[in-house]
Amino acid sequence: MDWNTKSAAPAPDEDDVPASESRRGFLQIAALTGAVLSTSGRSAFANGDIGYHAKDLPDEKLVEMYRTILRIRWHERTQADQMLGNPDYRGYNHFYAGQEAVATGVCAALRNEGPYKQIDLVYSTHRPSGHAIAKGVDIPKMVAEDDFRATGLNGGYAAEMHLSDPSVGFVGADGMIGPGHVTATGSAFAFRARGSDQVSVVFGGDGTYATPQFHSALNNAKLLDLPFIYVLENNLYHQYAHYTYSCPHKDIADAATAYGIPARVVDGQDVFQVYNAAKEAVDRARAGGGPTFIEAKTYRYYNHWGAPGAKEGELGAFGYDPLAITSFRPEREVRAWMQRDPVDICRDTLVDWGVLDDAGAAEIEEEVKAEIAAAFEWGLSQPLCNPEDGLKHVFAEGTVPARQFG
Amino acid sequence: MAQKSWMYAVLEAVQYEMREDPEMTWIFELTPPVASNPGMPVINLETEFGRKRVCNTGIDEYWMAATVLGAGLAGSKSATYIPYQGALMPFELIQNYAGKMRHMTGGKASMPVVWIIEMTGQTPGFAGQHSCYEEDSYYMHIPGVRTVIPSTPYDAKGMMHAALRSPDPVVYLYPAGLRTLVEEVPDEPYEVPLDKAAVRQEGSDLTIVSSGGGMPEVLKAAETLTAEGMSVEVIDLRALKEMDTETLVNSVAKTKRLLTVDQSYYTLSPGAEVIARVATNVEGAKYKRVAWPDAPPPASPEMFLWMRPNADGIVGAARDLV
Repeated sequence: MDWNTKSAAPAPDEDDVPASESRRGFLQIAALTGAVLSTSGRSAFANGDIGYHAKDLPDEKLVEMYRTILRIRWHERTQADQMLGNPDYRGYNHFYAGQEAVATGVCAALRNEGPYKQIDLVYSTHRPSGHAIAKGVDIPKMVAEDDFRATGLNGGYAAEMHLSDPSVGFVGADGMIGPGHVTATGSAFAFRARGSDQVSVVFGGDGTYATPQFHSALNNAKLLDLPFIYVLENNLYHQYAHYTYSCPHKDIADAATAYGIPARVVDGQDVFQVYNAAKEAVDRARAGGGPTFIEAKTYRYYNHWGAPGAKEGELGAFGYDPLAITSFRPEREVRAWMQRDPVDICRDTLVDWGVLDDAGAAEIEEEVKAEIAAAFEWGLSQPLCNPEDGLKHVFAEGTVPARQFG
Repeated sequence: MAQKSWMYAVLEAVQYEMREDPEMTWIFELTPPVASNPGMPVINLETEFGRKRVCNTGIDEYWMAATVLGAGLAGSKSATYIPYQGALMPFELIQNYAGKMRHMTGGKASMPVVWIIEMTGQTPGFAGQHSCYEEDSYYMHIPGVRTVIPSTPYDAKGMMHAALRSPDPVVYLYPAGLRTLVEEVPDEPYEVPLDKAAVRQEGSDLTIVSSGGGMPEVLKAAETLTAEGMSVEVIDLRALKEMDTETLVNSVAKTKRLLTVDQSYYTLSPGAEVIARVATNVEGAKYKRVAWPDAPPPASPEMFLWMRPNADGIVGAARDLV
C-alpha cells in the first residue's frame, strides 16, 4: 500500500482565516465567557455553548461543504439504484444517506491534503462511503472498488467495508465494531510522541458504546491527553436493534463526560452545527488540549445493509427488512427524519446567508449528479481482477503459494 | 420426522433443552433465535422464554462469551450465538479462562456452556474481516474446550443436544454457508456424540477427510471420482477436539492414501492435524492437502472463487494421489 501522498501541502489551518465578516460574531461573544469542561488551550466556553465557527468560513468553503453533502447523497442514491436495477452490478453498501452532514461537517474541520505526516487521519466504520468522500477519497476509484474492479481504490481486495486511502488520511473502513477506535488512539499517541499537531478522528455508531474498545479508547485518550476525536454517529440503530438494547444513556456523550472528556451533542442533520463542534475539537487537539467526544444525532435512510425496502429512483427504504427478523424501523420514523434532511438544511442555510441562491444551488446539484454518473460509468467499465493476484499483498513482497489444488 | 433446515433443527434442540431446564439462558446479538420451517410452528426463543432468559445484547462478544461461562459456573446451563463479525473477539476468554479452568481447579469447575460461533463470509464479496477462514484452527487448539463442527442439519441438532448436556464447555462452530441445507430431521431429541467422526462414504482407494464448510464440495468431488471408478472413502471430522483418531487411522490403514480438504487457511488447518495423527500410525501412506491459501480472503469474486477449495481442485488432487 502506498502511504505517500498525492499532492502538496496547502498552508495548514487555512480554515482559520476569517473571510466573511458579515456572518461573524453573533455567537462569538459566547466564546469569551464561562468555564470549560476541560483544558482547551484556545478559548473558554460555558458548558453547552459553542462557537458558531462555520460563520467564519469563506464562501467557497461553505459551497464545497454543500457539494460534498451532495456527492455523498448522489453516490448513495446511484449505488442503491445500481443494486436495485442493474443485474450485472455486484457491489453493495451499508448506505450513509441521511448522515451526510456528519462526515462532511467533521472532515471540513480537518486537514485533508498534504504530506502524510501532516494530514489528519480518519478511521471509519463499516458504513464508510460518506466518510471516504468527505475526506477526499477519489470517488470513481471507490466506485470501482465497490464493484470489485482491479483498478479500484484497493485493487478489488477491499470492497466497501475495507476501503482505504492513506493519501488523503483515510486510514480505512473497519468491518468490525471496536478495533478501529482503540487503533485510532494509537495514531493520536504517535502524533503526541513526535510532536505533530495532527489529529486522529474515529467515527463510530451507537452500537460501539457496548464494546470494550469504546471504553478503552476513551479512557486511554484522556489519560494521555491524546489529540483524538471520537465522532459517535447515533443513528438510533446498531445493525437491526435500537440503541436502547445496548446503551443505558439517552445521550451516549454522557459516557464520555464520565471519562473526563469534553463532550458535545450536536444536530447531526445540520452540517454547520457538526462543523462547529468539530472545529472546537480540532482546535483543542492541535493545541495539546486532549480528546473530544462528539455525539451527532442522526439517522440512516436505508436499512442496515443493502437496499431492502428501497425502490429504484427513490430515496430511502421503508417497511419490513427481511434481515431484521424481529425488529425493524417504523416507516413513520424514517419519514419523520427525512423531514429534516441534511441536504435541505445545508442548502437553505446557505441561501439564507446569501452564499447561494436557489438557481445556483440547483446548478451545483446538477453538476454533482453528472460527476457521480461519470464516476459510476468509469468505475463499472474497469477491468475485473486477475484470480492469481489473490496471493499477493500478504507480505510486503512476494506471493504466498496456492494451496487449493493440493 | 420432517424435512428441516439447519437453523430450525438446531433451535428445536435448544427449545427442547430450555423447556426441560427453566434455568437455561441464551444470549444473542444481531441474530435472533428465530426459525421457521414449512408446516411447522415458528420457533422464537425470545418470545417463548422471555427476555430474562433470552437476552438481546449490544455488540460485545467478550461479554457474551464470559456471561454464559459465568452462568455455567453458577450452575445454570447457558449458550450464546456469536455471529461471524465477532467470532474471535472472545478467544482469550475461551482459551485462557474457560479452557484451563477445569484443569487448574483440580477438576472442581463445571461449565455446562455452549458458544455457537458462526463461520461465514466463505462466499465472494465480504472479504477480510467479514470472512471466516480461521476459527476452526484456533478453537481446536485449546485444551479443555470441546470444539465441534457439524456439517448436516441432522448432526447439527444431535450435536446441539449433546453440547448442551455436556459438563464440558463446547465451541460449536456453525459454518453459515450450510444454512441452506435441508434434510430429514427427527422431531424428538437425540444426541450425536461430540468425539466421533462420520464415514460419509466407504471406499478402498483413497480417504478424503474434511469438515464443516468443506464437506459439500468434498461430497461433490467424491461423486465425480466414484463415477470415474475410484473407490473413495469420505470422512467428516465433526469433532475437532477431541479428534477421532481411530476412525482416521483405520481408514487410511486400508486406503493408504489420504487427502485432506479444509475451508480454512493451510497452515495449522484441521487437515494438518489429521495428517500428523495418521502419519504417526500408518506405514507407507501417501498424502495431499487442499486448503485455502495462507492469504486473507479478498473481496473480488475472481480472486476469491479461484482461491476457495472446490470440487474441481479436490478431484485433481485425488487423481494425482491415486
